[in-house]
Amino acid sequence: MRYEIRVDGDMSETLAKAFPELEHVRMSGQTVLFGPVVDEAHLYGLLARCQSLGLRVLEMRRVPE
Amino acid sequence: MDHTLLGRLAAELSGRERPAIVVLDEFDRVTAPEIADQLAFVLHHAGRGLRTVLVTRTEPVLPLHRYRAEGTLTEVRDAELAFTDEEAATLLARHGLRLPGGAVGALVARTRGWAAGLRLCALAAQQSGDPETYLKEFEAGHSTIADFLLTEVLGRQPARTRDLLLRVSVLDRFCPDLANELSGRRDAGAILAELHRANAFVEHLGRDWYGLHPLFADILGAHLRARLPGLESELHRRAARWLRHSGLLPAALAHGAAAGDWEFTARALVDDLAIGQFFTGLRSDDLGELFSRMAPDVTGPEADLVRAARELSRGAPGRAGPHLERARRALDREGRGRAAARLSCALLDALSARLTGAPGRAEHAAARAREIQQDIAPGLLDRHPELTVLLQAHLGSARLWAGRFDDSRSALCAAAAGSEGVQTALPREESLSQLALIDYLNGWAGRAERGALAALADAERFGLSESWGSGLGRLVLAAVAVERDELDKAQALLERATAEQPVPPDPVTAAARLIARARLQLARGRTRDAVETAESIVPSVAASPWAEDHTALVISAAHLAEGRPETAVKVVQHPACHRAACAVAAARAHLAAGHPEAALDLLDGLPAEEDTGPAVTVRAMLVRAEAADRTGDHGTARRLVDRALLDAGHDRLKGPFVESGPWVRRLLGTDPVHGPGQDPPSAHRARATGAEPCALPARTPIVEELTGRERDVLRRLAQLMSTEEIAADLFVSVNTVKTHLKNAYRKLGVNRRGEAVRRARERGLL
Repeated sequence: MRYEIRVDGDMSETLAKAFPELEHVRMSGQTVLFGPVVDEAHLYGLLARCQSLGLRVLEMRRVPE
Repeated sequence: MDHTLLGRLAAELSGRERPAIVVLDEFDRVTAPEIADQLAFVLHHAGRGLRTVLVTRTEPVLPLHRYRAEGTLTEVRDAELAFTDEEAATLLARHGLRLPGGAVGALVARTRGWAAGLRLCALAAQQSGDPETYLKEFEAGHSTIADFLLTEVLGRQPARTRDLLLRVSVLDRFCPDLANELSGRRDAGAILAELHRANAFVEHLGRDWYGLHPLFADILGAHLRARLPGLESELHRRAARWLRHSGLLPAALAHGAAAGDWEFTARALVDDLAIGQFFTGLRSDDLGELFSRMAPDVTGPEADLVRAARELSRGAPGRAGPHLERARRALDREGRGRAAARLSCALLDALSARLTGAPGRAEHAAARAREIQQDIAPGLLDRHPELTVLLQAHLGSARLWAGRFDDSRSALCAAAAGSEGVQTALPREESLSQLALIDYLNGWAGRAERGALAALADAERFGLSESWGSGLGRLVLAAVAVERDELDKAQALLERATAEQPVPPDPVTAAARLIARARLQLARGRTRDAVETAESIVPSVAASPWAEDHTALVISAAHLAEGRPETAVKVVQHPACHRAACAVAAARAHLAAGHPEAALDLLDGLPAEEDTGPAVTVRAMLVRAEAADRTGDHGTARRLVDRALLDAGHDRLKGPFVESGPWVRRLLGTDPVHGPGQDPPSAHRARATGAEPCALPARTPIVEELTGRERDVLRRLAQLMSTEEIAADLFVSVNTVKTHLKNAYRKLGVNRRGEAVRRARERGLL
């Protein structure tokens, strides 16, 4: 499974290190994290990590392989 | 958790005049759905007696929609938590910032009123030379809020503070000493106090301990990895050593594991003599989880002991064997050092011996443990009472398997009398169950029942209902129920014990289960099944005399039931059969084969002083009575049966009479004492001794009275409640309700719900 998570705001390189398994790209005041997600537990773990870092999730979707 | 315990808790709460208030913080950490279910159950049944406050970052899996509809739920959500403009202005003012209304409004809009964000804003602005300009920049910026603010705020701290904050971010909580240890400084106390005074990052947790605001901790962690790569595991390692030195074992283990320093982590656990915690319930899952990450290439006796403990706690003594052996050899080379490791090794050895049914090895391990105990640092054993109790329980169990009941009893009693407390609850309860099994095997059904119930009550008190001992406790209760001819009850108990413990943990429990099941099958007339059950093999190193005896007894009874008394005699006259119960069974078979003299000879040869209870003596008396009856001496027969009834009354043993066949009923039925004007002596005497009269199975179609409980169930059935709802309402298990229903159907002569209700109404029973 591959997912893409769009969060509000430009994420610094430092903060992006909190998601070492994902790549990221910044665009117009938003940051998109993307990459492979192992299973559901990983998926919910990513959401929890966003929450604990105070990130505002705008969109989350599964992308075709 | 057990439903009966929840039911009692709810009942207790619902009776309160003023509600109990329970606050559950961080409820989002609870991920198991059954916990939410159980909470909902208690909330529902406690009614007004309980108010609960849940603090959680995710919505709990509770029937919230129902609570909303009932108006019993108050929610404080993001919208309520968000700061309004006025509140934000107050917060900023406390940080010494006075801003025009418009600026505050813009700030609230940018942070959406998020309290932590606002606080960081204030902090950053305060430290910048020109707060207002700074905040304008922030409003216009595009970074993620927390990231921007923290980078800013952190960047403005002096280097030493920044460094300290990054380093302590690996800890949930820390004190100045520990912070010094991680940062190599001496002034952490002053820095932390200053940060706390400035209301920045650090929260005071009481005494000397501080914690980071969780949001900051996560971001600081990301900064740590970016700025000081590779330092994280070194920090965990240092923290682990400091914590171990300060006697904070659980935290030391967690950090040792996080550092991947398994040699240290295993050694910390073993040296603290805490290996018993793998087997005492509360911490065992945590420990198992923690050490499951240990790499297979970690060496050292402590690592091997931990591996062995993990396998043993999962009931796999075979896989534990090689680890244990390696640890033992390594420790033998050490000589007299490493006492804690050697004692842990002896404990695991005793457990492994018990699980594999090797009594000799268990004795040896226990003797070694007694020697080593003198080398243990004073006070260490007092802090771990579970170690001694576990040792005694394992030794007792191994002796029980070997059939040395008296020796076993002394060890088990020592375990059961061990120091009270939750650490020792499991092995103590287990020991009580095993003592109950000894009573049952000696024929003392009533005593066995009391013991097993005490064990179960003890387990319930600590919420350990699905533990080792309770499985055995329920099996003893099931076996006692068979002796009383309460077959449905026995079946339910057996099913529950099997469901809780699909694989019996040790040979004693395995054999007890086979005995209970085979006896039940015999009583139900399923002789083939009973023989098959009895002949199942319990894997063990050494054979158990009583387990073998009971196999023989069941097989003999099956032959007898199928009309082969000669074979029945042979089975129990095996030289290994030396128990009184075997002699009685042989006598019964002799009698059935038409040799009453041989039967009486056998009974006369029984040693009088043996500790045999009524389950055996009553059977012996019935054999004598039947022998007398056959020879036409009805008076003696009658007298013996009366005595048997009297002896059986205390323990309500109906089984032996049912087994004896129709002649007992005939004897009692034709007896003149049932004639008018005379008091039936059996009933009279049974009453005199305060026991229930041992009613014989009169399977006549008279209408039996419904019990109170059956009526309760029927009444709820009439209200169209489901079985589950009835169970919840009456605080009993679903199986219990089904049993009540089944009994009620039988008594009413129906087999459907609707009919049952109608019939009960017709008879005015509702």
